[in-house]
Amino acid sequence: MTDSLSKLKTLTANIETIIRGKPQEIKYVVTALLARGHILLEDNPGAGKTVLAKTLAQSISEGTADFHSAQGGVAFKRIQFTPDLLPMDLIGSHIYDETKKDFVFKKGPLFTHVLLADEINRASPKVQSALLECMAENQISAGDTTFQLDPFFFTIATQNPIEMEGTYPLPAAQLDRFYMKISFGYVSEEVELDIYQNYLTINNGKNTIKQVLAYNDIIHLQQEAEKVYIHPELIKSVVHIVQGTRHHQEIALGCSTRGGIIFIKCLKAWALVNQRDYVIEDDLRALAQPVLHHRLIFRNREASRTALNQIVDQEVNKLSKMGIQSKK
Amino acid sequence: MRNFFLNDRFKQLLIRLVLVAIPTMVIGFITLRFVNFSYTALNTGIAGQTLYFSLGLLLAYSLYFYRARWVVSLFILWIIYLLFQRFISRLPGEFDVFYATARFQLYSTLFIIGWMFGLLLVKIRWAHFILFGLLAVVTLVAVSDTLDISLSYILAHLAPVVVYGLYMLFLSPVLTERIELSFKKSGRFLIRITLFVLLVLLALFITESLFSGNLKAVEKELAARGAKGKNGKGSNKDNYDDRNGLMEKTDDGYRLKDTMRVNSKMSSSDKLMFCARLDNYFPDGSPAPLYFVYHYLTRYDPAKESFTRDVGVPSFDELEVDPARLPMYYSFTDTSIIRKSMADKFRKVTEASVYLSENTWKHAVLSPSSAFHIQTIPVEKDFQKTFLSAYKTYSFTSELNNAYFVYNISASPMLEKIQEQRYDELRKIKNYNKINSEVLSYYTEYPTGALYDSIAKLAFRLSSKKARPLDKVLAVRDFFLRKNENGKRIFRYSLQAGALDDPNIPSSKMLYNFLFKTHTGYCTYYAGASLFMLRALGVPTRFTTGFATINRGDKNKGWYWFYASQAHAWTQVYFPEYGWMDFDMTIGNEEQQGAPKPDGTPPLPPPEPWLVLSARTESIDLTKKQMVASFKNLIFENTTYQLNKIFTRPVDASLCRVLYNKRDTTLAAIKPGDSLIIVSYKDEARHTPRPQPGVAIETQVENFPSPVIADEIHIRGKEKQAGKKEIGKKKNQEPEKKITLKEIAWVAGITVGSFLLLMLLFPLLYLLYRLLRLAFASKGSARADQLYRATLYRLHMLGMERETETPLEYAEKKIDPVLSADFSGFMRTYLRLKYAPGKLTEEDQQQISGLAKRIGPAIRQRNGFFKRLLNYFNVVRAIRYFQQPSETENPTV
Repeated sequence: MTDSLSKLKTLTANIETIIRGKPQEIKYVVTALLARGHILLEDNPGAGKTVLAKTLAQSISEGTADFHSAQGGVAFKRIQFTPDLLPMDLIGSHIYDETKKDFVFKKGPLFTHVLLADEINRASPKVQSALLECMAENQISAGDTTFQLDPFFFTIATQNPIEMEGTYPLPAAQLDRFYMKISFGYVSEEVELDIYQNYLTINNGKNTIKQVLAYNDIIHLQQEAEKVYIHPELIKSVVHIVQGTRHHQEIALGCSTRGGIIFIKCLKAWALVNQRDYVIEDDLRALAQPVLHHRLIFRNREASRTALNQIVDQEVNKLSKMGIQSKK
Repeated sequence: MRNFFLNDRFKQLLIRLVLVAIPTMVIGFITLRFVNFSYTALNTGIAGQTLYFSLGLLLAYSLYFYRARWVVSLFILWIIYLLFQRFISRLPGEFDVFYATARFQLYSTLFIIGWMFGLLLVKIRWAHFILFGLLAVVTLVAVSDTLDISLSYILAHLAPVVVYGLYMLFLSPVLTERIELSFKKSGRFLIRITLFVLLVLLALFITESLFSGNLKAVEKELAARGAKGKNGKGSNKDNYDDRNGLMEKTDDGYRLKDTMRVNSKMSSSDKLMFCARLDNYFPDGSPAPLYFVYHYLTRYDPAKESFTRDVGVPSFDELEVDPARLPMYYSFTDTSIIRKSMADKFRKVTEASVYLSENTWKHAVLSPSSAFHIQTIPVEKDFQKTFLSAYKTYSFTSELNNAYFVYNISASPMLEKIQEQRYDELRKIKNYNKINSEVLSYYTEYPTGALYDSIAKLAFRLSSKKARPLDKVLAVRDFFLRKNENGKRIFRYSLQAGALDDPNIPSSKMLYNFLFKTHTGYCTYYAGASLFMLRALGVPTRFTTGFATINRGDKNKGWYWFYASQAHAWTQVYFPEYGWMDFDMTIGNEEQQGAPKPDGTPPLPPPEPWLVLSARTESIDLTKKQMVASFKNLIFENTTYQLNKIFTRPVDASLCRVLYNKRDTTLAAIKPGDSLIIVSYKDEARHTPRPQPGVAIETQVENFPSPVIADEIHIRGKEKQAGKKEIGKKKNQEPEKKITLKEIAWVAGITVGSFLLLMLLFPLLYLLYRLLRLAFASKGSARADQLYRATLYRLHMLGMERETETPLEYAEKKIDPVLSADFSGFMRTYLRLKYAPGKLTEEDQQQISGLAKRIGPAIRQRNGFFKRLLNYFNVVRAIRYFQQPSETENPTV
């Protein structure tokens, strides 16, 4: 336990050497990883999304190791999504093999452990939906064959804000597959100054970033995350929050049950990332926004800013006023 | 999902029903109960009333909670009405229909009120203010209708309403689902409190204005009682009479003067003095009005030149009693008047009911001549504003008397015929030889003096050839009716009499001028002149003051209305065997036509009582409206009895009217020990015993129904106040009134003050509570819990308010940078204890006790004692502690 906690600490510390001033966002990404989920980073270009994704991947893999050859290692692939990308570019295609006189399946870049899907919303919906299956089912179907992916399949997708030109908004179903959607935002003045002063070192560091965790460590951490204790009252609160999103007047589409399960998974992982083996009320506050917000459809912009927080604040306040329950 | 939604909504409804509807029902019950005590009109059972009220409330509340519309409300009420109509039409008896309808009206009103309450509570945000105001006003009106207004009484009845108001006030923020609390919000809260205080003040203001009316009335009554002492002789200090002719102003209205002198001016007023029903009719059924006598002025004082009342007169036939002092339904009979009436021909007993307005002097009897019996009767409720008191008299009157003699001389052949008959009858009297010489000499006493002599000469000249008394009287009358060569009357009626004269000229001079020069005067001139002339002729005559009766129409037969301008003086002439005959010599006022004011609506005659008990309250049950009374004196079928022992009977007061000082009040005004007059009416539907001749009254009383159904209860005396009043009578009243007003102010002050004080002390009290809980908390997690709460509260009141942060964030970001108490360390431990499964370790114990030790000094270090104390008077901040934090803005998106 303490061993894995210290490993987690090294992981975040490792990433922080490259990504400055964003400890919260780094934790979110690691949480998604430990919860066996996928994460969507949304921000303007140049905020460091891709760098974060790459750094994380590098921290847990041996560079661009091959999916199959890297036993005990973590394979990392990056796909730059463009409007003319086709599904087969991701999945792979059957290619005629002269020697075997047969069509053989040439695996695409999806066959990996860590996938960085860069600017996912610039690809056409067809391509986006191809991602859907592997993200949800952890498998890839090509023609009549179905390939099982490694249980460790982690997608970090980045996207530009929908308002920008040349983007295809992700369908709701696909958004729901992402455990979290976080936005980076700009760093503070001091951090930015620090970045400008040290951009050379940071840049060099990008290339020389060390692998601190191995494949097995991650699998172990994921198992640890599942063991994190969540108090029944907190589960009740999750239920209330999920129900609350369905009954709120300003929310057109509430959270699904899957969303609720994901929320609990993320809560546990988040607790672990924060060096705890139990979930506390603060976690609800910290995670409600990244985990739940993108699953909801709001009636207006005002509501999208306030409605979810209303529900969560109420719940958290209720919890903060609850006394210590007698232990059985 | 849908199902859950409904369930959730239903749960909310249930919570609101418990929190809002049930308290409203309770306050409704309390108010209804109180109103039931106070007003006898509602008497169909509190349970039923509350039931219907609650039903309306619950129905409306539930319906509108599910967002029903107005239309639904109308529709449902309409259906209920239709159903009821059908139900009524099936009832067999007429009485049942009436009863059911009356009940339906009450219940449906209550139902609708309940409905409106429910609707308001659901739909309108500050509905409880409206309800509070309404209930407070209702309660205050009911309170103000009670006599013994005291601090405790007001408090006792207003307290539930105030509690309800406060309860709703503090409940409402909890009920509004989401509260965006900020400084703006606390401002609104202040506004709410201010509004509340204003409402309380408004309600008190209304009470005060209501009270002041009552107090004035009470004051008036007491003043009347106090003025009684002054009565007796015409010794009033101010000579108001010079301007007012016949009337003088007294403390409680006008009265005719006991002393009459002829004056040059007379003012008339069309103030209503009284109205009367006179049970006197001509044989053909048309009403026969009679003049109403106030006093007989029998003696002429030559020194003062005025007519005065003389009680020592032979065969004095005035009823000497003060009607205001007679208890209700009690009667007074003076048999000596019957004896002294000196008449046996054409004599009859006439009944008259007199209703006195507030302008009239209440302490003497107004009646057709020679009343011998008087009984006080109540005034019907609707007429109480016009008439303060009433009594019934029985008088000896002569069939030959009526108001149509001279003054109202009419062309009506019927009336002329009656007059002729009267003259024919009276002409039978040839002289006064047979009558008592003492009486004769008294009533024919004639002053000496040149002016009187010339009047006497005139009289002799007029009646030179007349021997019989009547002819002499008619001669005088004809003298006043004389016409000059142009066919015009010589004598005229004018209120501005003797314009030639100085008002200070002695009245004999004025009478002389009237008779020989001006020929202009009003009633006292005519009456005075004719009195002198008749007395000079040896005819026993007396000066009578009272009211001329004018029959203005046949609309209300037998009812007459008397205005101040009808105050009158005339002469009565004695005819042996026939008694005193009215002779009004006053010439009709030709200039003034018609009555100044038409008749009003006559008050309803009071019902006949079969039983009047003069009783003492033993006990009273306001809920059942039953009491137990003991009595020794009673009037049974108009006969007064005194029993040989004290009887005790239950009395059913559920339908009765309660009066104090002749004003309506509530049953709640009756206290054990009060002495009462309990009246029960004759009623066909009730069994009322008949008097049994020859059976002892005690035996008859034994057989009276039990309980006695009371229709009226007059409170004669309050036990407590009885002693006080006897000592100080009038002086005591002024301060008493002030105390009442002061008391009201006190109630207002105490209510508002204690409310504010409670508000102000609330944060401190809560701190005390928190610290006590902490002190008594056992070791371990319970202690951690109490420490957590106490610390949060203390820090909040210190000014470091937790807004939307979670407690841990709060500890890390707000507290630890400021206070060196490692609050976040404790918070982490606390959260682990709260959410993690493990056991409490030694380290945790240390952490907990560590904070307990650190936090106090840390807070003290930051703020001085006074600053800390001051912080605890920040009520708004304390209220914010209990409210939900406002929502945060989403940082993303």
